[in-house]
Amino acid sequence: MTDFEAARGPHPDYAFAHASEAELGRILDFYQVAWEYEPTVFPILWDLDGNVLESFAPDFFLPDLELFIELTTLQQRLVRKKNRKVRRLRELYPGLRIKLFYARDFRALMLKYGRSALVSEFSGTLGQVTSHQEVDGTVGPEDRLDGLDRSAGSKDDTDPAESGWIAEPGPRYERRSRSARRRAVRRAAAATIHAPAT
Amino acid sequence: MKASQDMKADVAEVLLTEEQIAARVAELGRQISADYAGHEVTLVSVLKGSLPFMADLMRRIDLPLRIDLMEVSSYGGTATESSGLVRILKDLSAPIDGRDVLLVEDIIDTGLTLNYLLRYLKGKNPRSIKVCALLDKPARRLVEIPLGYVGFEIPDAFVVGYGLDFGEVYRNLRFVGVLRPAAYES
Repeated sequence: MTDFEAARGPHPDYAFAHASEAELGRILDFYQVAWEYEPTVFPILWDLDGNVLESFAPDFFLPDLELFIELTTLQQRLVRKKNRKVRRLRELYPGLRIKLFYARDFRALMLKYGRSALVSEFSGTLGQVTSHQEVDGTVGPEDRLDGLDRSAGSKDDTDPAESGWIAEPGPRYERRSRSARRRAVRRAAAATIHAPAT
Repeated sequence: MKASQDMKADVAEVLLTEEQIAARVAELGRQISADYAGHEVTLVSVLKGSLPFMADLMRRIDLPLRIDLMEVSSYGGTATESSGLVRILKDLSAPIDGRDVLLVEDIIDTGLTLNYLLRYLKGKNPRSIKVCALLDKPARRLVEIPLGYVGFEIPDAFVVGYGLDFGEVYRNLRFVGVLRPAAYES
């Protein structure tokens, strides 16, 4: 076992939401950059009673670099949704560092590493291995849609102000345990299986 | 992948001409000579991409200097898949403890390789360590690392030439150019 492996402990058995996330995990492992998968859920939208309507869990956190990474290797139409969430996150948590990794960034990374054959697999829904984002009751309607059916288009891109929801800054976020993350992924996967075809 | 017999035909656009590179390398050499005046610097070139840059840069530095070479495995390379971790393929040939080290890189994009290398080299207790990169592609950065010297900040494009390759080809182009998508999509 190398020093790096000893420091990080055994490789976590994460259930990734998308094949591109698994690939990024392998890349970070390769370069010995410590990471956690969806460790934190940030509320980004509340109703008037203070109930969380929408949350956002960035895909990766690199603790040594204090950096969150969100991958958006899906269809362009869903990128707007991610952009909006990241913008909201930055407004509500100004000290937080987050890097949005677009499909083109990931494609370039794969080309750089000579893995061009994988590029097509990471576009659209083909790279989807399961769904994610639904977390312990803090999830909003968009997240549920995100988790259940990324391929079916979306009612998203709705401005919160237009929807009537009111966003109140409340920079308290939830750090999830590994078991909580696994439970959430299992629930989301089960929901995917039972979701009606569209 | 198979490059065209005429490599230039695979280049969509020349980003940096031979003359622009030479002029900037000379400027960097002058700046480094001034900054390290009175010191003996060790230039460490990271193989293979930085070879042409290193060769030109070292001849533009008017100081006594030593050179050394390092090579690290790259993600996706066949030599590395057995371990799954980055490896030093070629280590320094001389100790650097107490020395002023300048790590010479061809391009910084994600910063992952550089981050690993700097951690590794700092473990060898140099007096100082800085990075001199010919090209900086900040749009792709994952790991923020202070760069001591940068030749050019470039846009987010797939570039080859002057040491930079695609599939080990194009390194010997005397300019830096943007590769045609057809060259890497084929």
